Amino acid sequence: MLNLDTTQEYQPGCRIAGEGPSARIAISGAWTLAVLEDAHRALQGIGEFPGGHEIDLAGLLHLDTAGALALVSLRNTAGGAAQFVNVRTEHRILLDEVTRAASALGEVAPRSQPLRDFLKQFASILTSIGRDAIALTMFLGETAAALGRVMANPAKFRGTAFVRQIQATGLSAVPIVALVCVLLGGVILQQAARQLRYFGAEALSIDMLGILTLREIGVMLAAVMVAGRSASAFTAQIGTMKMREEIDAMRTLGIDPIETLVLPRILALIVALPLLVFIADMMCLAGGAAMAKLYLSLDLPVYLQRLNAAITAKHFYVGLIKAPFVALVIGLVGCLEGMRAEGSAESVGKQVTAAVVKAIFLVLVLDGVFAIFLSASGF
Amino acid sequence: MTGGNGTFNGSGEYAIRLSGLTKYFGSQLIFENLSLDVRRGEILAIAGGSGQGKSVLLRTVLGLLPFESGTIEVLGKNLARLSGAERTGIERRWGVLFQDGALFSSLTVLQNVQVPMREHLTLPQKTMDDLARLKIAMVGLPASAASKYPSELSGGMRKRAGLARALALDPDIVFLDEPTSGLDPIGAAAFDRLIRNLQQTLGLTVYMITHDLDSIFAVCDRVAVLADKRIVREGAPKDLVRDPGHPWVREYFCGERARLIEKAL
Repeated sequence: MLNLDTTQEYQPGCRIAGEGPSARIAISGAWTLAVLEDAHRALQGIGEFPGGHEIDLAGLLHLDTAGALALVSLRNTAGGAAQFVNVRTEHRILLDEVTRAASALGEVAPRSQPLRDFLKQFASILTSIGRDAIALTMFLGETAAALGRVMANPAKFRGTAFVRQIQATGLSAVPIVALVCVLLGGVILQQAARQLRYFGAEALSIDMLGILTLREIGVMLAAVMVAGRSASAFTAQIGTMKMREEIDAMRTLGIDPIETLVLPRILALIVALPLLVFIADMMCLAGGAAMAKLYLSLDLPVYLQRLNAAITAKHFYVGLIKAPFVALVIGLVGCLEGMRAEGSAESVGKQVTAAVVKAIFLVLVLDGVFAIFLSASGF
Repeated sequence: MTGGNGTFNGSGEYAIRLSGLTKYFGSQLIFENLSLDVRRGEILAIAGGSGQGKSVLLRTVLGLLPFESGTIEVLGKNLARLSGAERTGIERRWGVLFQDGALFSSLTVLQNVQVPMREHLTLPQKTMDDLARLKIAMVGLPASAASKYPSELSGGMRKRAGLARALALDPDIVFLDEPTSGLDPIGAAAFDRLIRNLQQTLGLTVYMITHDLDSIFAVCDRVAVLADKRIVREGAPKDLVRDPGHPWVREYFCGERARLIEKAL
């Protein structure tokens, strides 16, 4: 390609020709995007000039939208009577079009104001928390109503989906939950033993591990893992269906998406999570047993004897009773965030993030509520 | 380097020349010895049945898909023999409107239109803002659309915004992939007018894939019909109606729907 822009002839130029009343602004060369900076410099070169002059385009060789915009704004600043003269036909259309479009330009959007934006954002976060609480409660109600309808007419229950979801949320989660719990059980026992050693009460670390695991750690670990795995999966699945208008299609076909999509998932989670909690409890205690052998040189029978003395069935039930409620919250949040997805893939991604964060947050809040409730009622 | 109208430099009668193009997908032959010339300053429609490879041809010309043999010349340059810098030079001189606009979803319309400017030029922000808002006005979008995200726009507005981005650098050639599909007839007619206006204003060469008989008759100078792995017919729409010369072309231009349009005209 010939690099014509740099040759003298094509250099954009702008000068005042003539004197007094016959003075005009003479434009020359190429006024295009590639040499726009030169054109602006040429414009600054002529400085202030009295209004009402003609702008002579006889020397204008080439013009594109960027150049036309510069010339049109030159004419507009040159005052009302200024006009283009000696315009070539091919340039005339473009100048007219740019004049028309430029007059339709709106105002520049106001610049952002940091403090106001911060307060606005803060307020919108607060209102969104409120809206979330309302939405979640309503969704719980819708789900309960759907459950009622299904119980009245059991043939409506989606058995296959239910079993499939138990497999996806429960069985498939067993390896990772087991691994994490073995490791954490060992770590808790080791840390507790290290601190209790100063009091010569190393063996009490087994009591601590047993009670802590059964009441809190087992259910919390399982719940957090499931919130990460399944709440995100629910949101992604339902969100994608929402995005592709499949949910709307279901509604028009007379299929209730709550009954079909939400109910099997939530019920599956309510069944699967207590089972996972049991596995988590056992694996934590097994990890503790291994660590007791390695770190405290306590054999398995001794460990079990100590554990048996420390814990009762009550502790186990306190942990387990939380599981279905936690599962309900995780399932509701996952499905609700999916239902809130909008038309784009980006929105599904955002909802998945929101679902995991909200599910884990609510799991921890729920655990706190249970702790207060259970200790007040003497467990 | 240039912006500007087709006559500025890189002279020659043809904007795009394809000759002897052969392309396979695996073992499936897509194009066999396909040839096509697009003249400067014309609006050429590529018509053809579904699955005949109209979009594949577009993507091949744009260099998004490889081809086995033949040559593709754009603005007098053989695309296969270009260095990276020369290729960028060519890319600056064409604009592409994808089917649904292909706007970047995380950017506003204004920022979308500025992407090519940022990439290829160093301009002050104020100039880019002015230019981008001018392009947005030229494609007939209201000024308020500039600060919206693509997801907040209707399909027709997304296409207009996509066109504004395609025109950001004042290209010589514009490729349009089914510009009127998914628009209502009034919106489609408005888009046809827009293309015609911009083509005349900016001296564009337009390469347009379309199914839409209305837009072919309303704005296109010539039609090329893709069938049987090559261009079977090309010529002015009227000539093709008079002398179809290929069964698909006859069915397309002289079938029920075409007759209805002709009657209405």
